[in-house]
Amino acid sequence: MMAVVEATASEADTGSAEDLAAAALSLARCFAAGATMWCVARQWPAHGRHVAVEFVHPVIVGKRALPAVNIEGIDVIPTVRMLARPGDVLLVIGSADDAGTAELLRRAEAWGLTRIWLGAGPRPSSGAAEHVVWLEGEDPALVSHSGDMVLLYHLLWELTHVVFEHPGLLEAPPACTDEVCITCSDEGRVAEVRSIGAGGLVDVMVEGVLETIDATLVEPVAPGDLLLIHAGVALTTFEELRR
Amino acid sequence: MTAEPTGFLYPFIESEERDSSALLLDLSTSAREKIAHSRSLRHDSVQSCRAQLERAAAAMADRFQRGGRLFAFGNGGSATDAEGAVDLLRRPPHGRPLPAVSLVDDRAVLTALANDVGFDLVYSRQLIAHARSGDIAVGFSTSGDSVNVLRGLEEASQRDLLTIGFCGYRGGAMAASTALTHCLIVHSESVHRIQEAQNALMLELWSLVQDALEQDPADQDPADQRGIR
Repeated sequence: MMAVVEATASEADTGSAEDLAAAALSLARCFAAGATMWCVARQWPAHGRHVAVEFVHPVIVGKRALPAVNIEGIDVIPTVRMLARPGDVLLVIGSADDAGTAELLRRAEAWGLTRIWLGAGPRPSSGAAEHVVWLEGEDPALVSHSGDMVLLYHLLWELTHVVFEHPGLLEAPPACTDEVCITCSDEGRVAEVRSIGAGGLVDVMVEGVLETIDATLVEPVAPGDLLLIHAGVALTTFEELRR
Repeated sequence: MTAEPTGFLYPFIESEERDSSALLLDLSTSAREKIAHSRSLRHDSVQSCRAQLERAAAAMADRFQRGGRLFAFGNGGSATDAEGAVDLLRRPPHGRPLPAVSLVDDRAVLTALANDVGFDLVYSRQLIAHARSGDIAVGFSTSGDSVNVLRGLEEASQRDLLTIGFCGYRGGAMAASTALTHCLIVHSESVHRIQEAQNALMLELWSLVQDALEQDPADQDPADQRGIR
């Protein structure tokens, strides 16, 4: 006999539920467009494996197998950089204070990945990922083992498959409808240096596309550096942004 | 129209559906209900298994005190739950780290055994190599019917290990097996909710083991006993 549901969801749960819904819609759209989901759980790698098996080998017979791959080990950043294609999804599980997780997410923006961050404890700063689904006010290590973290990605899986039942919604609406030119707007973009050219020109990866930009304001730069660029010019390096 | 129960919410031809707001509302309502259900099931499972958890924790603490080690195993999501349990024991948020090994970790061993002797024996054969009297075996299976997990627990029992099984539904073959010292059942029909509740049961078990080790007057760190620190 199943337990009767008596517990009511808290306000924080309502927030998590809405964030999960938005993440599932995005994730289903990415899968429909051919994306692979790369999973990284640096602090708790077993969760990364669990997410991958959940999507690749669905627990409900008849649900489609979806490409999800767990990446772990010491070279996570170069590995994901090499394997992921623009338009893919990066799902990370980790607390906000894990520097390696934060760096991976920041670089993933330049690689053109849609980022989903599941975590617990103090919440990360806004904009750290397209989708942040958070269990707040708890010890991240305990939440990792309490069943709550597993619950988050079980629900992400379940909701993603519900979205597949709505084919009309699988095509993402145009990213920008307000006719503002990104060059003229104040928006800066994260770029990762790929190679150094002559005369201050460098090739960078930005939103998954290779571009040549002017880096004279921030020289010297090296491959792998993260820059903030605007209108084809590097304005600052990320180390400077952090200060 | 869709055959799903929520189909009435979308009174238009699916392929022409363009506004995602109704779907998002439906998804978040469903998620909130499942969060509440998961919490409730976890709470109830810990309550209904409490006596069993306390007995298992006392026996585990006793074995850890005497230098015993824990071996955990399962398949798929339950394999990661076994790994999670080992991680919790070895690298606890607080309290004493305890010696635990996941029999899922080594893919060379796992694939060699699966290829040469069959998948049913991948855990029992490892226990033949590693297990000593006084150790602990913990198997995870949502159905309670995973043959390799049962074989592992049977081998462990024959070798005088403390045997603990985590399962769901009505316990399956695990509940009927005489090889299990303790069988912890999550009474649910959902694999996902069962796994979430098994996490909660394992966390409670770990917490009770830590309590038992703290209260023991002859308290001594197992690592100290072996002269590691």
